Amino acid sequence: MILNELLLPIFVVLITLILGAGVVDYLHHATSALGKQMSLRRSLNPLAPLYRLGLALSQQSVITEHPDRLNLRLAPALYFALAALGLAVVPWSADFIPADLVTGMVLWGAVEVLATVVIFLCGWSANAHLPLLGAYRYVSLGLSYMLVSMFVLIGVALPAESLQLSAVVESQREIWNVLRQPMGLPLFLIVGLGLTFWGPLDFASSPDLDRGISADQSGASRLVWQLARYAMLVAFSFMAATVFLGGWLGPWLPGPLWLVLKATLVLLILLWMGHNLPVMTPDKFISVAWVLLLPLSFVDLIWAGALALW
Amino acid sequence: MVGIWTDITFYLCAAIAVFSGWRVFRTDSMVRASFLLLISFLAVGVIMLLLAAVYLGTALFFMMAVEMMVMALFMVMFMMNPAGLNPMNMVHQPWVAALLGFAVFTGLSLVAVYGEFPANPAPADLDPVRSLGRELLGDSMLVFESAGIALLATMIGTVVLSSHRGRYGPANEGSEPPGLDPGGPPAKSAAQKQQQREEQKEQEEDKQDHDQ
Repeated sequence: MILNELLLPIFVVLITLILGAGVVDYLHHATSALGKQMSLRRSLNPLAPLYRLGLALSQQSVITEHPDRLNLRLAPALYFALAALGLAVVPWSADFIPADLVTGMVLWGAVEVLATVVIFLCGWSANAHLPLLGAYRYVSLGLSYMLVSMFVLIGVALPAESLQLSAVVESQREIWNVLRQPMGLPLFLIVGLGLTFWGPLDFASSPDLDRGISADQSGASRLVWQLARYAMLVAFSFMAATVFLGGWLGPWLPGPLWLVLKATLVLLILLWMGHNLPVMTPDKFISVAWVLLLPLSFVDLIWAGALALW
Repeated sequence: MVGIWTDITFYLCAAIAVFSGWRVFRTDSMVRASFLLLISFLAVGVIMLLLAAVYLGTALFFMMAVEMMVMALFMVMFMMNPAGLNPMNMVHQPWVAALLGFAVFTGLSLVAVYGEFPANPAPADLDPVRSLGRELLGDSMLVFESAGIALLATMIGTVVLSSHRGRYGPANEGSEPPGLDPGGPPAKSAAQKQQQREEQKEQEEDKQDHDQ
């Protein structure tokens, strides 16, 4: 009983996040090489993530002057733990759900917000000005897409009449949410870029801040932070696949395989967006988020509500 | 079996909540104090989950996360202390605080020990999330929606009143660019200069036509 109900879910969640992080690293570098016509053979090498892992582990881990050591060490672990928490509520099939919480959707919202705290702590605890600026930026921009996330997720909960993710998957048996609420997935993907400060929404560790919160990271400490960030991207992909692409539902293949395939698709779209969406200055993004994205999420919610009533 | 684990989780979370609550006043940085308070609240949230208040427990996670984050952000912003990493004393008026704390603790303890609590056990098949939703959007809908609209109006009003940025500074002070030399006429963009030149040219042509 303990083996099946306690250890197996924990094992599945952790393995998914760690393997997934490797896949993210591989795909990220491979797609970036495709775009820039760099040496393809080296970037497409399936062992490339392991080389990068070894390189990071062999580098010295530089530490800033008088940091808050506890928080500096804890922040990456907590960020990874949040990714695990988010992935834990995702159902893999009708009867395998690591944590079938009645309020799974609310827990995911909490993960997004707590991620803000953890990312802030990571930048703040370094006791250096560039990481601090990155941390501040992340927090001040966080609210603008977190509201979008809330409205989009409420829209998804409406047809399911539940905040439980297994019910959300069941509600998509006839038609997936990506078709039922066409604006939901694009908006949620932007939230995903923000949550993992990826691509154009990488305001926390952007080049104009000399990589912000990552400015003073090197070696192993940089490795764990990147690992946690990749893991969060993986958890987000699973969540997006579950709430918009019907989760584990699908013909012929077993449920978990469908879920992995759909999550990989979301991951590829996210990486493509990361490479191809235009980079904005933070203040411009704030305007876009509040003037364009937030009203669009209202429209999405009204659309979902009208459909649910009809 | 399940009962033991529930008890262990409860005592663990209660210990974490009390310990981090105590550390809030013993730490020397505002950011650490805020996040220690957050840990305390998170532990209380887990206890609420144990009490079958599933929605309130999970909602407490993100409510408190946002609140503590915003609190830490503003405190550091208004503090003349680089990012709040320099040690500073986090308490003031300790005796008043101690007396008040003791009084409140005694009062609450008395209520807990001697209070008469209603005994109406909930049915086993009660769905707390659903019943909370029915309460919020059923009989109490008018109250909650009015409060919600009032809060929203306040937020929009605050943003409108505080943010009046324009292209060249505050929007309520005109949209003229600053002068090239102090107090001089406002600097014009290339397009404006071009327009000015064309207007002058037209005026001159008009004048010539008029002369002819």
